[in-house]
Amino acid sequence: MTAAAPSLPSILGPIRPRARWREAKLLVVVAATILVGSVSLELTRQVAVPGEATGLHPANPYHLAIYLGLLALAHVVLVLSGRRMDQILLPTVAMLGGISLLLMERLPRNLVVQTFGPWKLGLGDVQLAWLILSVSLATGLAVTVRSDRWLRLYKYTWAAAGVALLLATFVLGDEVNGQRLSLTLGPVSGQPSELLKVILVVFLAGYLSENRSLLVEESTKVGPISLPPLPFLAPMVAMWAIALGIVVVQRDLGAALLFFTVFLSLLYVATGRPGYVVVGVLLFLVGAFVMYQLVPNVRVRVDIWLDPFKDRSGSGYQVIQSLYAFARGGLLGTGLGAGLPTVNGNLPIPEVHTDFPLAALGEELGLVGIMAILGLFLVVIQRGLRIAASAADDFRAILAAGLALVIGTQAFIIAAGNLKLIPLTGITLPFISYGGSSLLVNGIIVGLLLALSDRGVEPPPPPRRPGRLARLTGRGQPVAARSARSRVPVRPDEGHPS
Amino acid sequence: MKLVTVPPPSGPPRRRPLGRTIGHVGLALTVAFAGLALGAGYWQVLRSADLTREPDNPVVIAAARNVVRGQIVDRDGKVLASNKRDENGEPYRVYADRAFSTVIGYASRQYGTAGLERSWNAELTGVSNGNPIGDILRKFQADPYDPQKVTLGISSALQQAAVKGLGGDRGAVVMIDPKTGEILALASTPTFDASAIANPATQDSGFAAVRDSSAKPLLTRATQGQYVPGSVFKVVTAIAGLGSGRITPATTFPEQPRAETAGLLVSGFRIHEHPGVPARSFNLMTATEWSSNIWFALAGLRTGGDNLAAVAARMGFGAPLAFDLPTSASQVTNPGGGGPGGFTDNVELANASYGQAETLVTPLQMALVAATVANDGTLMKPHLVIATAGRDGARRIGPAEFGRVIGPDEADAIAAAMQGAVESSIGRQFTSGAKVEGIPTAGKSGTAELGGSGAPHSWFIGFAPVDQPRVAIAVIVERGGRGGARAAPLAGDLMTLFFKLAGS
Amino acid sequence: MDPFLLTVWIVRLLFLGLLYLFLFRIARALVGDLRAAAREPGAELGRLVVVASPAGEPAEGTSLALDAIATIGRDVNNAVVVEDQFVSAEHAILTFRGRAWYVEDLESTNGTFVNGSPVEGVAPLGFGDIVQVGQVRLRLERPRSDPSRR
Repeated sequence: MTAAAPSLPSILGPIRPRARWREAKLLVVVAATILVGSVSLELTRQVAVPGEATGLHPANPYHLAIYLGLLALAHVVLVLSGRRMDQILLPTVAMLGGISLLLMERLPRNLVVQTFGPWKLGLGDVQLAWLILSVSLATGLAVTVRSDRWLRLYKYTWAAAGVALLLATFVLGDEVNGQRLSLTLGPVSGQPSELLKVILVVFLAGYLSENRSLLVEESTKVGPISLPPLPFLAPMVAMWAIALGIVVVQRDLGAALLFFTVFLSLLYVATGRPGYVVVGVLLFLVGAFVMYQLVPNVRVRVDIWLDPFKDRSGSGYQVIQSLYAFARGGLLGTGLGAGLPTVNGNLPIPEVHTDFPLAALGEELGLVGIMAILGLFLVVIQRGLRIAASAADDFRAILAAGLALVIGTQAFIIAAGNLKLIPLTGITLPFISYGGSSLLVNGIIVGLLLALSDRGVEPPPPPRRPGRLARLTGRGQPVAARSARSRVPVRPDEGHPS
Repeated sequence: MKLVTVPPPSGPPRRRPLGRTIGHVGLALTVAFAGLALGAGYWQVLRSADLTREPDNPVVIAAARNVVRGQIVDRDGKVLASNKRDENGEPYRVYADRAFSTVIGYASRQYGTAGLERSWNAELTGVSNGNPIGDILRKFQADPYDPQKVTLGISSALQQAAVKGLGGDRGAVVMIDPKTGEILALASTPTFDASAIANPATQDSGFAAVRDSSAKPLLTRATQGQYVPGSVFKVVTAIAGLGSGRITPATTFPEQPRAETAGLLVSGFRIHEHPGVPARSFNLMTATEWSSNIWFALAGLRTGGDNLAAVAARMGFGAPLAFDLPTSASQVTNPGGGGPGGFTDNVELANASYGQAETLVTPLQMALVAATVANDGTLMKPHLVIATAGRDGARRIGPAEFGRVIGPDEADAIAAAMQGAVESSIGRQFTSGAKVEGIPTAGKSGTAELGGSGAPHSWFIGFAPVDQPRVAIAVIVERGGRGGARAAPLAGDLMTLFFKLAGS
Repeated sequence: MDPFLLTVWIVRLLFLGLLYLFLFRIARALVGDLRAAAREPGAELGRLVVVASPAGEPAEGTSLALDAIATIGRDVNNAVVVEDQFVSAEHAILTFRGRAWYVEDLESTNGTFVNGSPVEGVAPLGFGDIVQVGQVRLRLERPRSDPSRR
């Protein structure tokens, strides 16, 4: 029996269901929370001050039932698969999705209208549809991905696909408000940068795990300062250039910041060398300064951030309204549905469902609710990093860490933008914001993390090592340890019983 | 079977597990999220109350549409702003008195809010009643709005008399109780018809009339007008000189008699006295009576620009005053000068010391200067609203100290000099009509030369009675001529009316 | 106070409470995990029993408790010091990751074998498997109190 063999029977043989009690119990709490939330929403609708336009419409009870049914189904599928996967990730993500559903049910339906044949779907309907697809995708990947070869072996193919996607967006993307974010191909439209972040993590996992020893060992001395090896600074500079390109061409500050942060973090994870982070942060500062000077969009964003009250009703409007919403919430919030949906028939915060869901939740759930939501994100991050720490090899560790970092960093960037801690950038709050691309890609991330958390997954192939190169080129000569040159090397006992 | 190989010269690469660095990244993200929680706490707890009162906060705008606003009444309970309903039953605002238009402003469905209606919008609509705990408890009530009745410290009779006294001229009157900081009158002319803007039937023409007027009635001159002060600024110089200890009430300048005739030479420039002043050495008392430019220029030079600016800042100069209405900043000099206190050179300092050069003041600021002297050198915080009352109880807005500017002895010396300026035979010729019959009165007139042709601004600041002051006043009449021509008599009339109303 | 509104607020606070209940249950689960993974510091996660040792150091039959990371080699700084001519100074490393043991050859001169097969890169190691370094054979056995059986 060889070391690589044990997983084969579990792939081919009959599948034994494995109970997931912890997940089941947590899902019950999720269901209870969302039910109470929708009761709260409905009661709020009934107590609304007469004559006041709340914009609240009766929530669709079927939506809730469908979502909870979907979660139950996902749980059953995971149980039946018999894999030993993480049991906390799915309930946590389900809770965030449920909060999203409550929020989208509560915002004006006509924020998003899509027509499918005879059906006219509003905000809540469409978001539910995306949530269904997202959870299905996560579950499907969790159950079916039993090998990481398709990610591991084709990292340059993935990188090429990513660059192609990026270029396609540069050239063919639909321009909205001076930003080039979405790509329409036939009937399908989406935001490629969402998918790009997963591709980036896959490529980095492959690249870093392969070159890790070199990145750690080598260094370039510039005077007294020990810098990372020069050839390996090239990818960093390339990544930096790509991020700047995204800023210049797409005007997408959020994605650029996200990519660069995840890249630097993974570089640190792989090498443990703070020098990389220092160089990266310096590059970032230089880039930020140049962009501020050259790109008007960047300058506007930074100026708004520095003083949004300078132009209250103009450029600073969105951020100020976001802060007002947080302020109105106070400690306990106004209660779900009791926030301010419309004033004079307009939304107080434009793009609340994509860019400012945290502000809306801050108003209705208060500081207490915001802390809970931040806590949920921290749980997702903790699970991802834990899966990374206990992964079988470097590729999987970096992959899992990267996926967790994508979610954590993205949540941080948009939340901090809503709270005016950093300049606002238009990216989505994972699992909560409205948006198909975002939900689907986050579903993929959760699915991959779940699959990676199963140690029954196919064992990693042997890493290529510098030593092997010497072996293949025949430079190496057989030598026994220390003074034992004359002895015959020990051979393994071929007939040893297993 | 395994081949035997040579290890690379540098030894085998040590591949440490990644758990450590992953832990570091996790820690960094946890710290970042803790930062988010702190940020949320800042906006949702520390800044919650004041952001929720902002006039452009949707909650305030929404409340304004749904709520019958609280009344605004004067200090005697006379209603100044009330509500009517239009044919659809929706409420709109009605204002009793044009004289208050520049104070109360307006609340219009179409044109938003201005004046007190804007700054006290949260209380008038009942979004907030100024009590944080009450604001939270009201969340549990069916009607979350508790519109507040707002009581002003202004007396209608004084306000009307002030507006009437200013007549067709542009100008402002500020009367304040120096012991409490309550504003007793805050008149600015011209006024406008706020009811016309608030009434849905006439709002468009009403607003257009105000917006297009060349007199800019929406500029509240009493708090936002920035004027050259002229001689009334000498009181500021006296406060700064005595407050810094560089000047005493007995200080004389031996070079003064010569300078009175030949002009005072400062860094090559000559400063001249206004005509009719004898060539003598003055002290604080006589210099104030004669309104001597030379003595105050010398006093300012000895006090120094840094002391002048610093003591003035204690009374609110240099930044907009915290007040119920928007205010402009008063200044002793333009910001950014290189010398001490921000003055360019001694020439500017000498000219500023008697109220010319780059000094600019608001009428409210000069009323506070008078109130500082009146209240033994301690300035009280000026405030328009003295009480609010609603369903859940009433709140009084009591006196609060703005700050101690100078000691009581210094203040008494300046008060005595200002009394001389009103009551002595010499002073009276500059301040005719300012004296309140039967009550010791202190004051200082000012004639602000504007350059070019045109008449100067007519200024007066003062208070009465001198020993136990109950009212301080600042009057400016734009292009009103000498201080004794328009401002001083009007101030005298208004203070006389104040004591008549008070029944003494 | 309006009784209906009071009810609404109770429901609203219940919603927030449930969010925290959820977080609390997760926190409890995570703490439980950490305890189980790391019991007290130095708690054993497995044992190596010496099956064959021609040089006599370590002696055959010796049972060695393992931490999460255990290096094997001739150098005295290793967790498991093996006095054998065919063993390199730093020969192999055993790591306990999450729920299972893995073995990795540290570019030793003569390689590491699991149940007779050479180890390439990282190989999973089951309880009962035989690890061979040089002429020394070691069998991985369950710890006395097994943390992986939960």
